[in-house]
Amino acid sequence: MTKAAIDDLEPNDPTRSGPPLSGETGAWLSNNEIEQLCLKAARGAGMSWGLAEEAGFAAAWLARRGMDGPMAVLTQLNHAQGRAWNEICPVVASDQLRPADGNILCPIALGAALCDHGTLLGLGGDQKSLRIGPVSHPVLLLPFLSDLARTCGLNLRLRWSDGTVLLGADGSLLGDVDVIGAETAFEAEISAHVGSVSQDQTAPKVRLVASNTLNGLNSYALKTTVPASEASRAGAGADDNE
Amino acid sequence: MDCASLNPFPEAAAFRRSPSEVMRLERMGCAHPTRLSFLRTLLRRVMDQGWVFDRPVWDVDEAGVGRAVYRAIGPDRTYSLVAFSHDLPDEMRSDRVIATAWDATFTMFDGEPTQDDLDRLQANVPLQEAGRISRKELSLSRANRSVRLFEHVIDRLAAGQQPDADEVEAVGYLMRTTAVYGSGKFGAADLTTIAERPELNAPFQVEMMSVWLTRQFTVDITEHLARVRGGDRAERLDPVIKRTLGVGNSTGLGMAPFLVRHPVLLNNWMMAREEALARVRAQSNAQPNSVSGFRKALSDAQENAAKWTSTHPIQVTKLDALRRDLAQLADHTRDWPTTNEPHPWDALWRWAEVELSIEGQEALLSIILEPHGDLIDGLAECMIADEQAAFRLDGSMTVAELMDRLERYYDWALDIDFDQPENAARFWYVSEEKLEPRLGDRFEEDGAALEQPLCIARLAKDLHTALAVQPGETPIAAFLLAHPEHRLMVRRAQVVQRHPYAEVRDNLIAAEMLPIDLMRCKLAFFGASRFDPRSDKWVRISLFQGLPYPSDLCPEGWA
Repeated sequence: MTKAAIDDLEPNDPTRSGPPLSGETGAWLSNNEIEQLCLKAARGAGMSWGLAEEAGFAAAWLARRGMDGPMAVLTQLNHAQGRAWNEICPVVASDQLRPADGNILCPIALGAALCDHGTLLGLGGDQKSLRIGPVSHPVLLLPFLSDLARTCGLNLRLRWSDGTVLLGADGSLLGDVDVIGAETAFEAEISAHVGSVSQDQTAPKVRLVASNTLNGLNSYALKTTVPASEASRAGAGADDNE
Repeated sequence: MDCASLNPFPEAAAFRRSPSEVMRLERMGCAHPTRLSFLRTLLRRVMDQGWVFDRPVWDVDEAGVGRAVYRAIGPDRTYSLVAFSHDLPDEMRSDRVIATAWDATFTMFDGEPTQDDLDRLQANVPLQEAGRISRKELSLSRANRSVRLFEHVIDRLAAGQQPDADEVEAVGYLMRTTAVYGSGKFGAADLTTIAERPELNAPFQVEMMSVWLTRQFTVDITEHLARVRGGDRAERLDPVIKRTLGVGNSTGLGMAPFLVRHPVLLNNWMMAREEALARVRAQSNAQPNSVSGFRKALSDAQENAAKWTSTHPIQVTKLDALRRDLAQLADHTRDWPTTNEPHPWDALWRWAEVELSIEGQEALLSIILEPHGDLIDGLAECMIADEQAAFRLDGSMTVAELMDRLERYYDWALDIDFDQPENAARFWYVSEEKLEPRLGDRFEEDGAALEQPLCIARLAKDLHTALAVQPGETPIAAFLLAHPEHRLMVRRAQVVQRHPYAEVRDNLIAAEMLPIDLMRCKLAFFGASRFDPRSDKWVRISLFQGLPYPSDLCPEGWA
């Protein structure tokens, strides 16, 4: 790589994605990088720090299973721009988690609320099921439902008009995963699943994150940073040459 | 701590110091490396398990440019430090994170690299942050020469002489690392990749291994250049002098927030160290071999304190206190232990709490752990953390219960008046320019709206205030639906409940807060010595000084 090419790199790129390893249009990110980048992007897009951590968690969980978590997070962040918290957070009732009138839920807010309520939801009791939604980009619910299954010690079934996904208490995942990945919004039902959920455990994957996804997340992430001043640089690091 | 159920020393609990004593910045900023420090753990492991070290590739030209591979062959796996040596013009040499070129660059390869791997790494590792590595790599780092000592040593060796002892001692290293990036950075393998490997079952073992092999490289490249310059006349470095050289390291503010961002990990480090101290104090007697080990460690500490220099006013004061304390300790223990004294180690500790400065007390901690390897070394295996396991918060906890937790574990924070300017004088932020953590003045600089959530004391107090107006029986899950802004602090407060040493119990945005206190604590856990602040925001340290080299363990690998 030439000096000029180095200078051409986006100087403020939070991932320092640099030259792709074999000419792809994107960068291979570790799960740690995906989590951190999505956390920062979510914060930059206006989420609270604690929820932004949930966004990072969700993106890395999906990426570990070969799904495009970073793109899902970016799409959701774009979708939620300009919407107030009370428009995208759920109203929790005993049998449903719904948005306030006519709105659509954020899957991170809904997922976090599901996990927070955990055993309070009473899943696993007498054939109990929960109605959820409408919620946008519902693939982002999967990481939370997986954690919910583990917390409650239950296998869970997520069913909507076009498919079903099973989530095991052991972290396993089965069903119409590709279908949910393509849904832009849905209403669905969550219930305990009595049968087993088995799946080949796959090794953690490293994800090629497409350039446009990276760029989108990076622009949000940059909103968490402060332009440097001379005062702030002074004394921040070492510059003598002993 | 994970190992609590296996604890062979339940009686030690009565001797454990409380988090409210230990987790104060003033005390953390006096931390000394101990035998539980990560580089010591690494050296014990490779020696106990008989790891083999060699240097299968040394392809470096007369200008010192080229590449080398250092192999560490363990019982189950091999790791290879791949080193790239550069010819760096003096004007480009900078330790700042904004530098773009270095004297040498490194990556730790998981296994043994092929020629293709080496070529791929050659195209990326020298660029550091501007390059990409892959999941075959475990770390990325770089080092710069100490211009002063590096040149002097080459000159002398080339002339068939040994370097001047004063020069060597004044600097203490041939090269200093300016950043060592570990798991999951710049495309490197995630921590989960290595989390299950028994040989890496302690924090930062890959990074410590990388720096240790780098130390070997610093000597190898110096002797190589001396041979180029001096030909047959050139000497090799005297083993005694060589041993006194560590790897320097300069570290800025970037490291300071780490301990705050990793509360479970911090807890496990502190808990292991405090349990070790408690076990030593809990002994009913002092065995003769432990007493002689103590005397040796004390004498080493005095020698180290004599050679440890700094020009930073705070550190100068601390060093004076340390030397005075160690002399007083030596005096006090001349006839120690007296016969039939119950719990002599505890008696010594209690004496120190009254008579010595905090600097001296923390030095004593390190000294009395030293002769007790059999009693405490197993604790080194309890210092990693499964942070994901602590991530999910418990929303069924009620507002009243959480209030109670806050009052119990954050009492130190709830009393702070953040309307007083000196209690909210600073803010932590990330600079757009280099994406590194910085500390700003809230009342004089822009950017406080983009404050990082490191102001834990204030977050805790804000949460407490918000909870106070809620019905006590409300589940936290419902509270968070209305108050998503408190989610991060709720998570922390629940972590602290199970991890008592997780929180630094000081106001991290106070005017008088010293970031170097956080750095010293972390660096002591790494095993760093000769902590030398150059300002209240960045420091120099030395790693592995006085300890053996890979080539000492396996001379045949360098034949």
